[in-house]
Amino acid sequence: MAASAKSLEKFIHKDYKPGFFTDLEADTLPPGLNEDVIRAISMKKNEPEFMLEWRLEAYRRWLTMEEPQWAYVHYGPVDYQGISYYSAPKAKEAPKSLDEVDPKLLDTYNKLGIPLYEQERLAGVAVDAVFDSVSVATTFKDKLAAAGVIFCSMSEAIQNHPELVKQYLGSVVPPADNFFAALNSAVFSDGSFVYIPKGVRCPMELSTYFRINAAKTGQFERTLIIAEEGSYVSYLEGCTAPMRDENQLHAAVVELVALDNAEIKYSTVQNWYPGDEEGRGGIYNFVTKRGDCRGRKSKISWTQVETGSAITWKYPSCILRGDESVGEFYSVAVTNHCQQADTGTKMIHIGKNTTSTIISKGISAGRAQNSYRGLVKILKSAENARNYTQCDSLLIGDQCGAHTFPYIEVKQPSARLEHEATTSKISQDQLFFCQQRGLSAEDAVSMIVNGFCKQVFKELPMEFAVEAQALLGISLEGSVG
Amino acid sequence: MNYAEQFRQLAPLLPGRHLDWLEALRRAGEARFATGGFPSPREEEWKYTNVAPIEKKLFKPAAGESARVDKATLERYRLPEAWSLVFVDGVYAKDRSITAGLPEGVVLPLAEALERSPEQAEAFFHKIAAREEHGFVAFTTAYFRDGALIHVPAGLRLEKPLQIIHVATRPDGLSVLRHLIAVERNAEARVIETYIGTGSASYLTAAVTEIHLDENAGLEHIKLQIETDKAYHFGGIYAEQARSARLRQHHAAFGGLLARTEIHSELGHGAECELDGLFLATGRRHLDTHTLLRHRAPQAISRESYRGIAAGRGRGVFSGRIVVHQDAQKTDAEMSSRNLLLSEDAEIDSKPQLEIHADDVKCAHGVTVGQLDSSAVFYLQSRGVDELSARNMLTFAFANEMVEKIRPDSLKHQVQSALLAALPQADIREDWL
Repeated sequence: MAASAKSLEKFIHKDYKPGFFTDLEADTLPPGLNEDVIRAISMKKNEPEFMLEWRLEAYRRWLTMEEPQWAYVHYGPVDYQGISYYSAPKAKEAPKSLDEVDPKLLDTYNKLGIPLYEQERLAGVAVDAVFDSVSVATTFKDKLAAAGVIFCSMSEAIQNHPELVKQYLGSVVPPADNFFAALNSAVFSDGSFVYIPKGVRCPMELSTYFRINAAKTGQFERTLIIAEEGSYVSYLEGCTAPMRDENQLHAAVVELVALDNAEIKYSTVQNWYPGDEEGRGGIYNFVTKRGDCRGRKSKISWTQVETGSAITWKYPSCILRGDESVGEFYSVAVTNHCQQADTGTKMIHIGKNTTSTIISKGISAGRAQNSYRGLVKILKSAENARNYTQCDSLLIGDQCGAHTFPYIEVKQPSARLEHEATTSKISQDQLFFCQQRGLSAEDAVSMIVNGFCKQVFKELPMEFAVEAQALLGISLEGSVG
Repeated sequence: MNYAEQFRQLAPLLPGRHLDWLEALRRAGEARFATGGFPSPREEEWKYTNVAPIEKKLFKPAAGESARVDKATLERYRLPEAWSLVFVDGVYAKDRSITAGLPEGVVLPLAEALERSPEQAEAFFHKIAAREEHGFVAFTTAYFRDGALIHVPAGLRLEKPLQIIHVATRPDGLSVLRHLIAVERNAEARVIETYIGTGSASYLTAAVTEIHLDENAGLEHIKLQIETDKAYHFGGIYAEQARSARLRQHHAAFGGLLARTEIHSELGHGAECELDGLFLATGRRHLDTHTLLRHRAPQAISRESYRGIAAGRGRGVFSGRIVVHQDAQKTDAEMSSRNLLLSEDAEIDSKPQLEIHADDVKCAHGVTVGQLDSSAVFYLQSRGVDELSARNMLTFAFANEMVEKIRPDSLKHQVQSALLAALPQADIREDWL
């Protein structure tokens, strides 16, 4: 066991590679939150009147709400007045092409493994990069435009496609949905906007990288993806932040809308700074993600690899409204040291013959707490609805915790629903079996852990971009699929 | 008029008023109930069960001596081979109870025990239930009228099961009971709690049972809840198992309009706990079962298996929680909840939870919700059984797998008859079973 323990140690004590800080001149609002700050954000973004009203309404609702306490995570109070709600790398004018983007910034992305140029040629992934609060570069715009796909930053979308924004923004996650969604609605500064027109299969993977750089800022991005009838899009997001002693807040909202026969595949590789071994610093990741399968036979699939953040509070959900719509949730959540994750999904079955699949793998090490919290709700109208849920947890070390809190509510007798959960450590039997076949203890452990969450696990070292492309390329076979 | 005023008038009827320790507990319970009331669905543990209908009414406890109870009803549920304590409307009915042959001092009504040997009651009263401070528990602490004190001394094996029969007879009646079961080292006992009612009016039964199992003690505890269709019921069973103690608990819930049962146990080193249960939420019933197993020490084993059926406008709620504490290495815990949802207006809510703080453990849970296998229904139909009977037969078979685990046989047959009564078209003759 000594050798295998060592290999586990090695795995556990990886350094946080993206932990550097880029010294850029930034245009940052002073910390604090009030209506003037919201007006300032809206003005800086040159937003139309309806957006400002929308933000203020959300802010007023937020004031009446309380921070949720039900998650299995513990942290000190967040000082919402101590955060700066807007920070942008200073630029005289908005960059018109990649050549005009600050080289320091491009360098940052290169360090992270997102060579924007290289990407154009090699990977063929269109990237929208969001630095602190604003989107700095979007690649492949022309090629996408030729297909009719709109892929731009949220602020551009508000300028150029206000009718789409007005129609869909907040239609899946209403501004007052929950405490963090309301906060986000009030102060969100940027994010990605994707519109796939009718019958279009998006010619390439779309991808966004989020980076928190400045100190004492929060990041509040908002992503909206609309897939019109018969369209398909695959979208990947990745996130990193510098290492700091204080906690930083990240409260994002993601809304997906899939109309008839449309399919959205949304993948996340979340590697925000998790804090140090003693639990100092790290990102508070409070995210609301929800997909609405509005059309018949529509499909929304969430895949997430959660390795970072001091605290994760995140439940990517699917509302299966259209008949025969499909919702999927595949998750690998790794917590280590003092990290705490409370994550899972909600599948709300409304339409007939809707199906959902939930595969959740939690790995907990050190003194971390890892919880799966999920809801499968089958309404009376959801005839022949079908759900399969599997949540497995692996414990590494005797001071960590792994918890499962599933909620199952069924109001339709023709529904069929199965839920399974297991928790275990790597068993001596499994180790012995591998070793007696000639594998070293080290290989055996890595093989078992890899097998535990097969295809997603190998992406954990977070060599972004090209690997991320590979992540999407891997077919969801075996347990995940 | 509220409960506090009502009980002030009845104060002389509440037992143990001369005991300071009990008086203090009663007052604390009363204060907690007065401020918090019954739990609301805003509390996570009561999310699926709204007890507002109970809150709206003021149920009245029996004033004096226990009422007469219809003999035939009582005898239908009395097990021939068991000792029995009978409580009518929450008051001990000596003339109806059968205690002849019981070893001296092993079983006493709680009111009597508080007079004769208060130190015995003090040793066990509200020691475990104190951890479960919600409105119902506080309510029973403040206002309990009677109960049973079962204290099995070390090494003794009670040869016959002991049945506690609760009969509710009065409209809008209130029975509040506290039972104490203490089984000392190497001793063994079997206890059956039966809850029935006569008449058709609504009433409320609130009972809390505390179970202390000493080292290597064994207890088989069965709760059979067949209250009437308009009855409200709360039952809390809270246990603590010392090293190597064994608890087998079986819970069958067939009656009541709104009934909630909580079964909690704390497992010591190498303890074993087996929980089985079946609920049948037919008609307009709302049946809620909450279980909580805390593995506090290493090497304990727990097995939990629940089945539920919701039909008509019924609603079945199951919440099972297993907590493995940091020292509880080598824990082996399994939980399963299988549910049949048989009608458009019925609902099943299930919440199986694992909370694990130790790494060398084996824990698993599984839940299914579905309907009858259509090919099995078709098979029976192809053999000439009509569809309704076929469905009832299969439903009976699904439930009967749990009932088969019940011992003794006489009780098993009682539960089977109750089950068949709820499925009238099953076309199964009792003598086949």
